[in-house]
Amino acid sequence: MRYREALNQALREELEADDNVFIMGEDIGVFQGAFKVTEGLLEDFGEKRVRDTPISENTIVGAGVGAAMGGLRPIVEIMTINFSLLALDQIINAAASVRYMFGGQVGVPMVIRMPQGGGHQLGPTHSHCLEALYLHIPGLLVAVPSTAADAKGLLKTAIRDPNPVIFIEHEALYGRKGEVPENGDAEPMRFGEAAIRREGEDVTIVGISRQALVAADAAETLADEHEIEAEVIDPRTLRPLDLDTIIESVKKTNRAVIVEEGWPHGGVGANLAALIQEQAFDHLDAPVGRVTGADTPMPYSKPLEQAAMPHSEHVVKAVLSTFRDL
Amino acid sequence: MATDITMPRLSDSMEEGTVLKWLVEQGGEVKRGEALVEIETDKANMTYEADTDGTLIEVIAGEGDTLSIGEVIARVGDPSEASQDGGGESGDGSAEAGGGGNETATEESEEERSVATADEDRGGEVASANGGAPAGGDASPDSSDGNGRVKASPVARRIAGEQGVDLSALEGSGPGGRIVKADVLAAAGGDEGEATATGTVEEAGGDEQKGSMPEPQEAVAKGEAGPKGEVHVQELTRLQQTVSRRMAESKATAPDFTLEVEVDMAACVELRGRLKELADPVPSFNDMIVKACALALREHPRVNGAYRDGRFELYEKINIGVAVAAKDTLVVPTLFDVGSKSLGEIARAAHAAIDKVRDGTITPPELSGGTFTVSNLGMYGIDRFSAVINPPQAAILTVGALKKKPFVDDSGRVVARDMATLSLVSDHRILYGADGAQFLARVREALEQPLSLAL
Repeated sequence: MRYREALNQALREELEADDNVFIMGEDIGVFQGAFKVTEGLLEDFGEKRVRDTPISENTIVGAGVGAAMGGLRPIVEIMTINFSLLALDQIINAAASVRYMFGGQVGVPMVIRMPQGGGHQLGPTHSHCLEALYLHIPGLLVAVPSTAADAKGLLKTAIRDPNPVIFIEHEALYGRKGEVPENGDAEPMRFGEAAIRREGEDVTIVGISRQALVAADAAETLADEHEIEAEVIDPRTLRPLDLDTIIESVKKTNRAVIVEEGWPHGGVGANLAALIQEQAFDHLDAPVGRVTGADTPMPYSKPLEQAAMPHSEHVVKAVLSTFRDL
Repeated sequence: MATDITMPRLSDSMEEGTVLKWLVEQGGEVKRGEALVEIETDKANMTYEADTDGTLIEVIAGEGDTLSIGEVIARVGDPSEASQDGGGESGDGSAEAGGGGNETATEESEEERSVATADEDRGGEVASANGGAPAGGDASPDSSDGNGRVKASPVARRIAGEQGVDLSALEGSGPGGRIVKADVLAAAGGDEGEATATGTVEEAGGDEQKGSMPEPQEAVAKGEAGPKGEVHVQELTRLQQTVSRRMAESKATAPDFTLEVEVDMAACVELRGRLKELADPVPSFNDMIVKACALALREHPRVNGAYRDGRFELYEKINIGVAVAAKDTLVVPTLFDVGSKSLGEIARAAHAAIDKVRDGTITPPELSGGTFTVSNLGMYGIDRFSAVINPPQAAILTVGALKKKPFVDDSGRVVARDMATLSLVSDHRILYGADGAQFLARVREALEQPLSLAL
């Protein structure tokens, strides 16, 4: 099943399971979603539960916050993560804060879905990876699924969670296939449980969002060409973060490299590197390595865009530099 | 192999325990199943039995020491191991050794911090491996950082310290000539070194935790004399700490209200008179009230419930706690499943529980699991009183003194009757006024027609 189909299935199942669940966003109904994630939902669930909206992100999210406070479970789709910046007031000042401002008397059980990521020559207004920005905000949960199974499992959990969830998909993953457990077979997936994608003794590579796949690819090269067995960890959710699994792995391997597509300064890796050195300082054999997107707005030109994104060879190089001089 | 005896978890809510008394001396024989040490938990004093045979090689936690669950309090094994392990003990054991270890650790981490700072440039370089991030680093390939300090990774430095390896004698194989773990392990003696290193890692982990433990406090400290004269400061026992925490929590969170009712106890007095010839022990008035509550609780499930995290929990079993004043404290032993017990069984259970409280042998499981509480101060001549709800229970019933009072009978005459005042203090989040009133009326009805208590 493809990643987009897994998301569609999760939406469909939750719409069926709970009448309070509804979806709204730009082009999600008649057009069936910019990335076809909401295909068939308008036809099956009707206009009341699958709502097309005008192009007005702050209003869409604001309406979602109000609906959630009123007892519904809105799923808001923002067409790309870049556009969500228009709605930061509602996301940070309202969604993330309401439960705290009112002492827990009302919550905002809402999901904001949006894709991120470059590689399609859409330039700096469509291609960024901003998980670090949302990770910064207390009150929000942040999911970054990299497989079809996680996309479905985490989305279902997100919809049922009483907190606002920033659910970050990746444009380059929508067409990617993966095994997805049959409905009912799987335990509900939990937030805050990292997946160890590959076990290894020599170095821990933490890959965020799509970079979990890049990290796994690099791990194969490291094993084949450099006799380095990497342990690859996909945190799956950044808030809550399964730091225990990462620290346990670093204590075993003594080396860590973090891979993300976003920018280096104040990034997910910067934060994680700080946590690792705080909690596993005496277990480190090398400084925590980071592989990030280039510290620049995303270029439009294809060669420049590719050069600005992390690839497997960058990960291999960063890992090797924790072992020896290159 | 010596076995570590750790602070056991003796109750659900226990987080740390205090060693009261070692029942076996250091060097003495320990037998599995025999009493080894008395431990004070947050709820009671318990005797802990050994779960292994051997000699008590070393007592690590002295009497009066308070330790977290899981911390080592003693070691049991073969007597020969006592001297053998002498060197290692400084790393994992006694109070003084722990303190010394702490200082060393601080020094070390300070050194390491400066090494890490020196290395930060390289962090930047790695981050910039994928172009973009400003790369400011010029990594000196030297094994020292220019200040004569050896360049070694944190883990290498730690293991070198533990194994007594001189870092300045090593050549680093890591980036920039940094000494890494593999270099230290090789110097410490190959495979053997690795095995030891793994062992030490775990021990060191335990030590770190020990370092952060609060020191046992002075039992009694004298404050300075002021307008209030000399102040005697008393530290609380664990039980007193638990009582103070839970009572404050109850008052702060439960919106409580009180309902009172006067009960004509004449029929109970008469019933008890008749039972004196039949039963041993003779059911007390308190036992009758417990039984009456059990009847009423079955008909009013919310009273036998709790408000927890925005939900009502209603319990199948009726377990009534009976407040008993003990020396310096208050203990509430639980009479379990009184819903299915006869009055005689309740009397026997209450008797046994009170005896255990008085001689201090009551155990935490016997103090837990209550769904409702009855508190009686009648024996002190108190007419009526309010009480603090035992959280998360829905209510507590208080019982005042049973005494003759003027009573207006059905024909309008004033007569002297045996009366007692019952008060029900309820948590309004789960019990509303009418609920409490109906429950209390049912208790009164059962006591005024006590034949139903015998059913």
